[in-house]
Amino acid sequence: MRTASALSPRGSETSTPRRNRIRQLPAAVSGQEVVLVGAIVALWVLLGLTTPAFLSAGSLQPLLSNIAPIAIIAIGQTIIMISGGIDVSVGSMVLVCAVVAAKLMVVFDTPLIVTIAAAMLVGGLLGLLNGVLIAVGRVHPIIITFATSNIFLFIGLRIFDSQTVTGIPPTLAVLGKGINGRFLGIPVSFLVMIFIAAAAWYYLRYVAGGRHFYAIGSDGPAARLTGIKVDRRAVLAYTVTGLLVGLASCMILANGTQNLDQTVGTGLSLATIAAVVIGGTSVLGGRGGVLGTILGAILVQTVASGVTQLGLPSQLGDLFVGLFIMVAVGTDLLRARARRRA
Amino acid sequence: MTSIKIPAPTPDTKPSPDSGQTQVQRLVKAILTQRVMLLAILVVLVVVIMSALDAAGFLAGSYNSDYLSSSLINAVPLVMLGLAQLVVIVSGRGGIDLSVGAIVSLVGMVFGFFYGVWGLPLLASVIGAIAVGAVLGAVNGVMVAYLGFPPLIATLATYYVFRSLAIVINNQQPISTKPIQDLYSLSNSVEIPLIGQYLPNVPLGVVLFLLPTVVVVWFLLNRAPYGRRLFAIGTNDIAALWSGVNVAASRAIAYTVSGAISGLVAVVTVSQFASARPDAGDSGSGMALPSITIAVLAGVAITGGIGRVSGVVVATVLIIWLNAGILLLFVGNVGSQLQSLALGVILVFAALLNGYTNRRYRVMG
Repeated sequence: MRTASALSPRGSETSTPRRNRIRQLPAAVSGQEVVLVGAIVALWVLLGLTTPAFLSAGSLQPLLSNIAPIAIIAIGQTIIMISGGIDVSVGSMVLVCAVVAAKLMVVFDTPLIVTIAAAMLVGGLLGLLNGVLIAVGRVHPIIITFATSNIFLFIGLRIFDSQTVTGIPPTLAVLGKGINGRFLGIPVSFLVMIFIAAAAWYYLRYVAGGRHFYAIGSDGPAARLTGIKVDRRAVLAYTVTGLLVGLASCMILANGTQNLDQTVGTGLSLATIAAVVIGGTSVLGGRGGVLGTILGAILVQTVASGVTQLGLPSQLGDLFVGLFIMVAVGTDLLRARARRRA
Repeated sequence: MTSIKIPAPTPDTKPSPDSGQTQVQRLVKAILTQRVMLLAILVVLVVVIMSALDAAGFLAGSYNSDYLSSSLINAVPLVMLGLAQLVVIVSGRGGIDLSVGAIVSLVGMVFGFFYGVWGLPLLASVIGAIAVGAVLGAVNGVMVAYLGFPPLIATLATYYVFRSLAIVINNQQPISTKPIQDLYSLSNSVEIPLIGQYLPNVPLGVVLFLLPTVVVVWFLLNRAPYGRRLFAIGTNDIAALWSGVNVAASRAIAYTVSGAISGLVAVVTVSQFASARPDAGDSGSGMALPSITIAVLAGVAITGGIGRVSGVVVATVLIIWLNAGILLLFVGNVGSQLQSLALGVILVFAALLNGYTNRRYRVMG
């Protein structure tokens, strides 16, 4: 049922001859994504009316800077979840990557490129570990990544050595919130995110390797029988996510202060999963896309910043995130039910 | 404890292939397929090694029966939430409850109001806490069983909602009035009557909260009709449906039970902290992660239908006593950080072992 709806455009079931349907892709923009755009626009207008400062550049630029890292991690998470997996260790991976990058800058005063490369290398290795364990062990990914999350937490905290990292130089400022981190007034980190999102969107939609993730998520054993190297795909998905986490960690560092404490990355795993799920990607695999994920990340982050701008306790934002998940997935379930009846 | 007879496709009494095996092969198979046995061996191993290290003078304190007994207070919330996960995971269809920690936080605050602010009697407050926990769990249950949400998503959403409510409900402030502070006495160790003088003192929470929960859940799963239905829907819910089981109701009840247990854990946590803290169950990495770890370590199959109460109890004892040893072996922050490493490594091995035994012997648990 899911496979059919993922591979054929909505409404074509009745008219299109069967053999043509195989060559067609799902609609470029799903109903969920249209609803999300509407929700974001409504939210921005509402916030703009209640707090006039919200729609000013000084308020939107930091918002976009904050969206970038969470969206970049969520892009990796999307690929994983389309293939039927999940990664709950990204929060702890951020901890490791961020502290490695911070220590490198403080101790060795590494230049921008080296710092980012080191963070991505560390993230890639951690992701590779996840992927190999999942592919070799044939264990449900949530269990493995729960476990590695603990192990990464240990590694990160050992590198911290029970102290806050202080005196981080402004090497990464080009990725940060400040005036140095803008290109034509738009935060560079946000542009980088858009670039990565576009690449991932093209790959998942038009490249055979990208379509394989949907096949694996819809029916793993069937995908294996058609010759897809399921294990290699899993290793690739988790490794790519690790690389993206490394890059996002640099952005989180750049958005922060001169100090890095041991709470960095807390709650990020669930936040990225929330963004992906709100964006319409099925946790069961085989369905979803990057566009929805970006919209989901924008929505989640807008709510978080909107709540504080309205002077409400910041934790109230979580309430709305939870309700958004319920509404987003709930409407998706209703639509699936309607499709089955039709 | 008697074993749960699971209607597995290939029962243990497989006819021919076993007959040619040696004693050793049979022993290996028993250890690999019967998780409780493996865990019990590991517990003995941990205690022996740590005692040896103690005798050799490597430990910062003595690793004796009193220390082990008093460390059991940490096992109380862990076993109870492990049992909550057991019930939910056994119910099948990717069952999991990420919201247990958030329920602990929220019910803890509600219990703080009941007992600490409004001055209800203790028993009424505890029953109220369990009831509120059950209602919160039922929200998960309805979403999963009747509306068709994937359990991971439903409980992720309620995790956010409950966590946020817990903090907002009292303006981010903890409740630590006099009656709440006095509850700390529940964390004391007491002597067991009659035979107590021959045994180390046992934390009161173990007797008051842990044992009753274990007994009730064990009875529910192994001796009550509901347990049969739960294992049936977890193993194959379509077959269960055709055999007349109300699948949706049975699954919803599993999440309700999980919520009720979490509500009782909230009371335990409040008494341990002597304060109802709005982030009690979800600060740091929270309570959901350790409880899922315990369940997996206990051999509960993430696919549903397989799991034992005794496994959860022994798995928790293993983790608690290992952690207690690590704390004495490595003083300071390193010790507490090593605990999370140990938890992660053990979980990886348990998961890989589950996968291996599943392929090797076609059974798990």
